Amino acid sequence: MAYEKPLPRINGDNRQFWEGCKNHELKFQKCASCGHVRFPPSLVCPRCLCTDIEWVVSAGAGKVYTYAVYHTAYHDGFREEVPYVVAVVELREGPRLLTNIVGCAPGEVYCEMPVTVVWEDITPDITLPKFAPSG
Amino acid sequence: MLEAGLCRYVLISYGHNELSSDSLFTMLTEFSGDDVVFGHFGATGGYALAARRAMHEYRTGPQTWKHIAVGQRAWANLNPRAVMHGRPMSFDDYLSSQYVVEPLRLPDNCLVNDGGRAVVVTTLERARDLRHPPAVILGLGQHNPSAQAAQSGALAGSTGAKKAGEQALSMAGVTRDDIDACQIYDCFTYTVEVTLQDYGFFGPGEGEDWFSGGTIGPGGRMPVNTSGGQLSEAYYMGLTPLSEAAMQIMGRCGERQLGPATKTKEPNIILVSDNGGILQAHSCCILGRI
Repeated sequence: MAYEKPLPRINGDNRQFWEGCKNHELKFQKCASCGHVRFPPSLVCPRCLCTDIEWVVSAGAGKVYTYAVYHTAYHDGFREEVPYVVAVVELREGPRLLTNIVGCAPGEVYCEMPVTVVWEDITPDITLPKFAPSG
Repeated sequence: MLEAGLCRYVLISYGHNELSSDSLFTMLTEFSGDDVVFGHFGATGGYALAARRAMHEYRTGPQTWKHIAVGQRAWANLNPRAVMHGRPMSFDDYLSSQYVVEPLRLPDNCLVNDGGRAVVVTTLERARDLRHPPAVILGLGQHNPSAQAAQSGALAGSTGAKKAGEQALSMAGVTRDDIDACQIYDCFTYTVEVTLQDYGFFGPGEGEDWFSGGTIGPGGRMPVNTSGGQLSEAYYMGLTPLSEAAMQIMGRCGERQLGPATKTKEPNIILVSDNGGILQAHSCCILGRI
């Protein structure tokens, strides 16, 4: 069955992030000058304005900073999903990522819950990084 | 511009057919960018993330927000223009209503309605000759922390209200104790709590006690959103709170007029807030009678 939810809009800034996801690698920009690991990708470091970067692969472990349980489907593609959990996950390397928590009931999610990345291959080119309870 | 004589009157207006068209939803979806990939749409989800983090960091939640929803609805029932006029709400009604994006229920959300609102700004000299006593701008403040919700490490506050409020009170030469009523941008109940908290009316986690006992409703010691606000009157962005503050100071509010009619303080000084994005931008305005 065709994938019915919205797809990410790939551009020059985020292409390497989404290509990393396709290979099941969570890749972030790291500032070559101050070492700040950042998301979303950007031309300059928001801390020190340096333009030199290296891409680092995250271990994929973090914790739930906050979350919300959608009881409303704002898009037809999510009609079968409600209630589902949207969360901000804080990775151990520092960046925060807006994502979904899967692999447990919405009522089991809590702030600071340890989570690990799980990969959802949705099209031949796009893979979404979602998170499930660790262990 | 007014003081420099470049213009005599400034019209600040807002109008939107957001109920009878899909334009608001389209705007909010655009605003969500690639977050829609994960099913994250619009403002309710963003404020739900903020409200949930606040529930983790200090004591707040539905038992606090019910006082805001019910208090403002009581004001709306004194305002024939309010969308929710004639539809009283009890704490039980609030607590038994459906979740939209948990922890936010339907009555935690502002209204979606067609309509418009406008205010005219002119010089004090000109305003003194008009039919109604003028609502005078005593102070202004603005602070824009601007971080996207997903990137903010301070989603539970403090918001831009803290510095914007300090600036506005300082410019007006008044203190928080001089404020007779507040008109707070209330896209969600939680926004009212965190805004008043950041203005210093109470500390984090003290909101439930502060709101209890009808503090913000008719007869309360600190009336808030006396038209019913965006939750229960109508949503006109920042014009809902600003126009209500001006109307109260001019004495044009009929049954809901602050003062003896509603067993509240005379509205000599009213604090007004506006905020944008997911708590990313904040402005504060102090209006008064002089």
